Order: sequence, then C-alpha cells, then structure tokens
Amino acid sequence: VISSRLRLRAAAAFLLWTAVLAFPAAHAGLARWSALRGETVLFVTGGAHSPEPNDDSLVSKHLRQLGFIVRTVDAAAPESVADGASAIVLSSTAEAHALGAKYADSPVPIFTWNTYDYPNLGLTGPVLHRDFEVIDPTQHYPDSFSVLYAYGANLTSQISRAVGLRPQLFGTLYLEPQTAGWGRPGPGGTVIADFKGLRSHAAVFTYERDASLANGHTAPARRVAFYLGSDDFHLLTAAYGPAARDPNMRRWAIGLKLFDTALRWAVSPPPPLPHYDPAALEAAARRAAHGRKVLFVERVNAGEGRRADEHIVAHLRGLGFTVTIADQSDPETRARGQDLVMISGTCSKWKLANRYADVRVPLISLEGLMSDTLHFSGYDRYVDYGEHGEERESDDPPENYLDIVGAWSPMAAGLKPGLVKFERTPGVLKWARPLPDATVIAILPNEPREAAIFGYPKGSRMAGGFIAPARRALLPLDNPTFDDLTPQGKALFDAVVLWTVGG
Amino acid sequence: MRVRTRGARATAARAAVLLGGAALVASLAATAASFPYRVLQRVPVDGAAPVSAVGFSPGGKRVYAAVGDELRSYDTASGRAEPAVKLPGTGVGLAAAAPDGPLYVVTRSPARLLLLTPHPLRLRTSVALHGGEPSGLLFDRQSNSLFVESRAAGSIARLDPRTGKMLAIAHLHGRLAQMASNGRGALYVADTTADELTVLATGGMTRTGAIPLTGCSAPDGLAMDQVGRRLFVACANGQALVVDEDMGFTFVRLSIERAAHLRLAFALKPLGPDGWKGGAFMAGDGPGLDAIRMNAFISYVGGGSLPLGGRCTALAVSAAARRLVLAVAPRDSGAGSGQAATAGTAAVHTAAGVELIILGGVGSGVAR
Repeated sequence: VISSRLRLRAAAAFLLWTAVLAFPAAHAGLARWSALRGETVLFVTGGAHSPEPNDDSLVSKHLRQLGFIVRTVDAAAPESVADGASAIVLSSTAEAHALGAKYADSPVPIFTWNTYDYPNLGLTGPVLHRDFEVIDPTQHYPDSFSVLYAYGANLTSQISRAVGLRPQLFGTLYLEPQTAGWGRPGPGGTVIADFKGLRSHAAVFTYERDASLANGHTAPARRVAFYLGSDDFHLLTAAYGPAARDPNMRRWAIGLKLFDTALRWAVSPPPPLPHYDPAALEAAARRAAHGRKVLFVERVNAGEGRRADEHIVAHLRGLGFTVTIADQSDPETRARGQDLVMISGTCSKWKLANRYADVRVPLISLEGLMSDTLHFSGYDRYVDYGEHGEERESDDPPENYLDIVGAWSPMAAGLKPGLVKFERTPGVLKWARPLPDATVIAILPNEPREAAIFGYPKGSRMAGGFIAPARRALLPLDNPTFDDLTPQGKALFDAVVLWTVGG
Repeated sequence: MRVRTRGARATAARAAVLLGGAALVASLAATAASFPYRVLQRVPVDGAAPVSAVGFSPGGKRVYAAVGDELRSYDTASGRAEPAVKLPGTGVGLAAAAPDGPLYVVTRSPARLLLLTPHPLRLRTSVALHGGEPSGLLFDRQSNSLFVESRAAGSIARLDPRTGKMLAIAHLHGRLAQMASNGRGALYVADTTADELTVLATGGMTRTGAIPLTGCSAPDGLAMDQVGRRLFVACANGQALVVDEDMGFTFVRLSIERAAHLRLAFALKPLGPDGWKGGAFMAGDGPGLDAIRMNAFISYVGGGSLPLGGRCTALAVSAAARRLVLAVAPRDSGAGSGQAATAGTAAVHTAAGVELIILGGVGSGVAR
C-alpha cells in the first residue's frame, strides 16, 4: 500500500511538473471573457472625496460592459469588502494614504492605477521620483506629452501577445498633455510597457502570483499597475472605422485594449505553482531528454573546471540527452541539428567570440560574462553584467546564495521565494541585467538589479533589438561550480535545462 | 456649455413659450452670456412652409433659404429680401459652390437637382434625380464633389457637379442624417439607427467602415473640420462629440440640450481672425442653440447656448460673413408666418412664426 501511494504521489508530482512546463511563456493563458462574465470586481475610488473631474463612472460602466459585477466602495472601506471579489480595481481617485497597505496582503488580484499607492502594495520602492512618479500637465508640462507614448517592452507575456505588443512606440492616451504614472518594479515584476524606453519608468507592469515584490514580500495574487490618471480613462487610445483596418493604426492605438487585457490577465487563474520535488523534476527532465541532443561547448582540455565540465556532461547524459562536445574554437555550425546548446564557464569570452549568439537552437550560458555577446544584456561590463567574488574583477565578496524572485516559474524548480543556498561554499557568481522580456528567477542577494538566473522566451526582445529565435537562459556556473552545487542548486540546473530545451 | 437638469429644461421651455417681454429677455441674456453671437437680424418668412435649408454664398454676402417651393435670397448685412426663384418642387437641400460656381438645390416631388446662378438667382439647369426622394445635399469644395442623400431610399449618390449626372451611389441601412466630407475621399454619414457614422469612399461610394459613437443616441447633426480632421456630432440624448477622423476616436464629449432633429454647422474662425479658432453650432427641436468652441485642434469647451423660442429647422455658418443663420419655426406647428421680434437681444425667444435669424459676433453692429 505504501509503495503504491508513493507511486501515486510521484505520478502526481510528475504530472504537476508537466503541467507547469506546459506554459511556454512567462504567464499562463488568459481566461475567456465569457468565463469572467458575472465575476465581481471591487472598485475602490475616492468616493465623495474624489478629485473632479474623474472618469470613475466611465470605468465602472466599462467594467460592467465587460461583464463584471461592479461593487464600488471608497478608500475608507475595510479590507473585508474584497471578500468574494475576483479582482480589486484601485482608482487613483482614492487617497493613497487612506488606502495604505490595506490590500497589500489580499489574496485577490489587484489592478491599480493609483500610482501613489504602489509602494503600499509593494509594487515599487518607496521613493517618489525614483521608484514611482505621477506626471501631470501642471507640475511636469513637457513630460505630460511624453507619457502620450509608451514603448512595447515585453513581447512574450500573455498580455503582450494578446495585445500584439511590438518593440515600438504606441499611443497611450489621446493627444492632449495628460496625467499618467510610472513605477519601477522589483526584479520579480514584469514590465509590459515603459515610458521613453526606460525600463525603470514602467507604464504597465505586472507581478505573477508568488513573484517577489519590490519590498521583498511575495505577491499573494496577481498584481497589475497601469499608467492611467484619474480623468483620462476616456482617452485610452483605440482605433475605429477605416482606421481600424490599418494595421499600423491598430498597433498604435492600443491603450484601451491594453487596459482590458491587463485586467483580464489579472482576473485569469494563474498557472499552477511548482513544488520543490527533485525526484519529480528529474523524472520530467528524463522524459524531456529522451531523443534530444545537446551540444556542450567548452574549452577542451581546460585546466580549472575540466572535471566540472565532465560532470555536467555526465549528468546530462545520465538524464538521457545525447551530448556532443565542441571546443570553443569550433565553428558555430556544430549547433546544427542540436536541441540545446550549453556554453560552459570554461570557455574564453575572447575565443568564443560571437559564436552561437544567433543560433536558432535553445541556448544556456553558464558564463555570465558573455551576456553582451549573447544579447542577454547591454554592453557595459560591470554595469550591464558582471560578477561577484572574482579577485581583482569585482568589489563584491564571494557568494553562494541566490534570492529566488520568480518562484512561480518552472525555472525556479519549485523553490520558495527568498534566499536559497546555491553552492556549498561561497564562490564566483555571475550576473546580468536582462531586458524586460526576460523572466528573472533569481538575483544575487541584496542586488535587485543583478539577475543570476533568467530566461528569454522564444520571440522575446533581447538586447540590441535582437529577437530570440529560441529560448535563452543564464545559469551562473563558474568553472568548478557544478561540483559544488547544493541539492537546490542541482534542482535549479535541471529546471533551467528542462525549461530551455522546451523551446 | 450649460448642463441642465430635466426640470430646468422644462422650466426654460415653458418660459420660452408662456412668457415674453423685456424681463425675460434680460434673464435669458444672462444665461447666454458666453455665447459668441447675438441676434443681428430677424427676418420673417412669409408663407406656410418652414425653411428646410439655409446657406451662405461663398463670400457670405447672401443668405439663401429653401422655403417650400421657393428659393429665397437675402442680403446678409441688412436682411433685406431679394428676388426669389420658383422651384419645381419642395426644396430640401441647398449648397453654394465656389464664388464663381453655381448654387445647388435639390427638390422632392419631383426629385430634381437644380443648378442656379447665384446672383441674380436664376435657374440654369434642372436634372432629374434617380435613387429615391432626396432629403439632403452636400457640396464639398475641397474635392469638388456633390452628394445627394435620400433618407427614404437609404442611399447617397455622388453627382457630377457640372452636369448633375450620377457617378456612383451607395445603398445603406439605417436612418440617415447629416453628411460630412473630408475632401480627401471619405464621406461620413450619421446613422441614427445604429448610432454610428458610416464611412464611404467617395470614389465608388463604397462603405469602408463605421465609427461607433458610444454614449450617443440618434446622432442627427454632423459637420467636419477638414483642416483639423475633426468630426462634430450632435446627439439627441444631449451629447456633442468631437471625433478624431484619423482614428475614429471620440476624444471630447460635451453636454448639450436634449433635442431631436439636430443640425450642426462648423466653421474655422467663425467670428473673424481675432475670435474663436473654430466653432460648431447645433440646434434642433430642443430649447436652444448650442456651441462648441475650439481652442485648439485638441482642445474644445462648451461655447455657451442661446435659448430658442421655436424649433430650428436649418442653420448655416459663414466664416467669411462672420455670421450664423438660423431658421426657426414655431414648436407647435409645421410652419407659419410671423413678424420680427426685437433685434439686438442675446436670446432668441418666442418665435411667433417662421423666421430667419441672422446672428453675428457680440461686437458686431446691430442692424435695426
């Protein structure tokens, strides 16, 4: 009986991992509108204290037209009013100080354009003008024109795909200088669109359930921050009539569509959360490895790191991959016919040159210093990418912990948000600052801008405007690190391999 | 623009009908303080028929009015009547072409397009119209295009402006109201059944789409600013919209008087070079004449309103003349004759009969 229970449990874990990995991009699927009809939305406004004019009544009407039942309360209402709601919609007419952190821990998804309330919810840091800001025509007249335009920062999230977001400008609000807010989300956030091409000035950003917030807490449910002001809902762009037939205008005037889609995403069920189960993960990895080929690129006969490379190859072969070894100087054509390219940390950045950057095969780099050549990040060494613990190349001490910020992603191996011991002993850990299209799984502790593990989905926008032809991932394993990985570190290795080889 | 409650509107309507005299003039003048025009001329229109269409000559010196089966002409400055022309049927639409071009009139019973020399008025050509009893006419100077609408047949025909020959026709669904042309190949038609603007490509008069008018019910009035590419829509449910033509996007929504059968006219610089950048004026069966003021192509505010004692059956605005002309008929009858009320008042009240009211900028001289 015990044996059969164990088998059942293992099968359930395996199925969960299969389900988790079935979601190819950063987010799960969007619910159909028809499935959301009749769901209740709690609309929190300023009530009698709302500034005038405002568009709250228009928003309320629009929400009803979308099929929601709208329950409107003012900022002073107790948190319990959200009980039973499918979403909390926070208008900027609600006084942020009155709202406080009231809804911060709510397990109900939140869709907000109350920019001053972003820090209360942990969506951004607390510092005005640095972490968040409201641009309005009175205080910031020139900038109130710039917020009429936003840039498609993320192409692969469900919101981005549903809207058809491109890496180009679009019209946010109709043509008059307007009020709009931006925020700088934490590393667990996903920037969908930004102002001026600055990822720190996010116009629309999201947090998946269980993603780490800017204040270090985790999101109890989905969170969406939107750029809207109190009285410009009616100016969210849309094209009608003959203009709607023009694909350029259709892609330009997407403000209302973005609003609707972001709200729909917030209310849609999130993907199943992975559980930390190394055995189930390994089983899923074995299944994925069957019949697949890996090109392992290393410095053949490397000194330091040679044994670790051998052990990585042995581990991959043990999972069932067919592994071919290529030297760093071999031509890139070695990648033909492969299902995954893995670049070892023993490779010399100088000798590898730009090889494999453009291959149409999924790729994992174990070397963070190649982030620029591989389009993972910008070109500024020690600013866009760098390392901790390397003598004379880093001011930072050796490190062996990672901070999991994307626990919801299958790449996180089911590990809980927060610190995880990655290596047994402190050593060299590489990092990079990926673009908003990447899903960040782990950062270096206390370095929210230094991502250690992240992945770019296929079709995502990488540095320099490069569009990922297949999945890309960074997993920081310096030369000998593999042999020093903790069980959690090994699980992260398998999870990253499993995710990357899937696309 | 004033926003009235239902009670206030009823009160105003009763006041306009039941009360008269100087005391009322004073109170209405106060409510109409921001309206840019004042009454310069009140011209009684003899006969039993209402005025179905009005228009200015291209230079603004004359006002034309289709009254029953007559086309009448008036001197804009003095309001003095000039010789009229007998029409073969009831005039339902008129439009003046370029300064040296003809004046166009369409009639029903029989359905004909008439080309007239504008001064002196003289019938030059009469062409039979096919495609249904006409109900409206639009001449677009920019594209030199002539459009005839038939609400009865649900059709709009594009005619050769020189010969009147039909070049293309569109058959549409819904109840059609005013038309507007962008001068660049698109014609917009207010559809009061679907509450949208039907868009036609004028080349083949093919339908290219529809612009929804959310929140607008019965969009009777429609006019276009061809420079700013703005469509102005007057809706029976008390909404006036400004639509960006390039996007089909309604970006301004203002409250106006609730009224049926609204007509709308627009002009850039309607008060001359120092006045408003642009103005849209609309009136119908409701209690007043409303204005939208254009401050910039992206900025619009209410331009005030002027109470009307009767229902407006036609209106036109001329930037050249800096005048607005309004045809007003008593509310309780199809038509009638009357006498001129006092000129020089800000308000237009208690129309005893059919009359043409010529309005000019507040600073304009008042002709007595």
